[in-house]
Amino acid sequence: MALRDDFPILKREVNGYPLIYLDNAATTQKPQVVLDAMNAYYMSSNSNVHRAVHTLAGEATEGYESCRTRLKEWFNADRAVITSGTTEAINLVAHAWGRANLTAGDAIVLTEMEHHSDIVPWQMLAEERGVELRYVPVLEDFTLDMEAYAASLDGAKLVCVVHTSNVLGVRNPLEEIIELAHGNGSLVLIDAAQGVPHERIDFKHSKADFMAFSAHKMCGPTGIGALLIDGDVFETMQPFMGGGDMIETVTVNGSTFQNNEHKFEAGTPRIAEAVGWCAAFDWLSKINLPEEHNRLIKIARWVSEQLRSMGISVYGRHDEKDSAVVSFLHPKIHSEDLAHLFDSRGIAVRTGHHCAQPLLHRLGISGTVRASFYLYNTMDEAEKFVEQLKLITERFG
Amino acid sequence: MTYPAELTELIEEFQDVDDKMERLEMVFDLSDEVIPLPPSAWTQESKVHGCQSEAHVKVELQDGKVILLSGADAKLVQGLMGILSIAINGTAPAQALLLSPDFAEEMGILNSLSPSRSNGFRNMFDKVMRDIRMLV
Repeated sequence: MALRDDFPILKREVNGYPLIYLDNAATTQKPQVVLDAMNAYYMSSNSNVHRAVHTLAGEATEGYESCRTRLKEWFNADRAVITSGTTEAINLVAHAWGRANLTAGDAIVLTEMEHHSDIVPWQMLAEERGVELRYVPVLEDFTLDMEAYAASLDGAKLVCVVHTSNVLGVRNPLEEIIELAHGNGSLVLIDAAQGVPHERIDFKHSKADFMAFSAHKMCGPTGIGALLIDGDVFETMQPFMGGGDMIETVTVNGSTFQNNEHKFEAGTPRIAEAVGWCAAFDWLSKINLPEEHNRLIKIARWVSEQLRSMGISVYGRHDEKDSAVVSFLHPKIHSEDLAHLFDSRGIAVRTGHHCAQPLLHRLGISGTVRASFYLYNTMDEAEKFVEQLKLITERFG
Repeated sequence: MTYPAELTELIEEFQDVDDKMERLEMVFDLSDEVIPLPPSAWTQESKVHGCQSEAHVKVELQDGKVILLSGADAKLVQGLMGILSIAINGTAPAQALLLSPDFAEEMGILNSLSPSRSNGFRNMFDKVMRDIRMLV
């Protein structure tokens, strides 16, 4: 598989075995071009952005701002605020939009499928402002209860929903969710952390008002992400963090703020990471994402069928639009023990609650083992994963 | 540091094994060494914080000697509890308190465990030592 050669880390061994990296829902590996771009930035252009007039500052600014341009092009968005990741992007909405637009008695609709990063900021805001939080239940087939969702909209100012579950891989019916929300006059925030790696999303076409995601789950660097904002909604938001770079003027009596994305980007931004993310977009643009998605979901479906045939509980449905995530529980081997045993054979999987405790509570479990596949994973690796699971089951089950 | 003979022997056994899965299996087997603290006796007081899975410990003194009761839902954690039991059960509190948690590293167990598990082991070790101090 040619594209595997672009990832130097895939050549390493772990505990004497070739690495099989199946923790992609947590973070993806980085192609050489991303590493090279970040290294080249520090080697030849490192400087601070925006203010200075010298050559290096110009190059740094160009590198940083071209990430914003790339984001707007890739996702077809008017406004792209660069953040530290999905979590900061959602917190930014809670502070910059929520505080300016929500008062006691307003409601926010969340789902039981949300990652903690799309629950906790709203709980904090709800406590501060007396806002009501409503949770859409997850049904036994691992989908959202859309009837309950429709019924929950009355009086809701905002709907926050995960694009694709990091635990189940289920891709939610966003088109219907957004249409119903807008019909009710509610804005919609999409947590697309697990969506953007697998699906080329057109933000304007989706009609969502906010979309949050991270670079590191789509072959980019850690520590950087973005919040896409509808142009009109952008104007209703107030600055969140104060500091350098977000102001127009500062006097001892007060400050005025920039009126573009910079007003939400106080302080020195993540310049090298932005340069690296641009390289990741360039690399991804050469990949046929729909074709790869089809290949990966077939692998995930095959793995889940194998696991079920071994008497293992699999949480997810693996429909064609879902992500290639296989969450499961072994009937006899504790998840953490299993993850350590996999690691002893070079296979990286994740265990625990995956920062989605309300979802696991709904499923009646406290954690799962999660194998998540991405562009560089092969059917051969999936077969080795299943083979090792069989051997581990024979020896320890 | 000098360890009790049984623990020294165990350290040497682990050091002879290269394969990580085999080392894990050895830790799993040592779960038999624990004096069980059944789930019905698990309380907030007995809980070891910082472990990804449920882990509980309770220290008692019988005839002036330390007795560690413990339980966990993961076999690996139970095995770590078994090793700690071998190290301190039946010893005088003063002697148990001299024990360093380094033995887990010398056995190559901490190296084979994730940082959170290592921290979990350290938290368990610290809690047991704290509980012993409270009894004397």
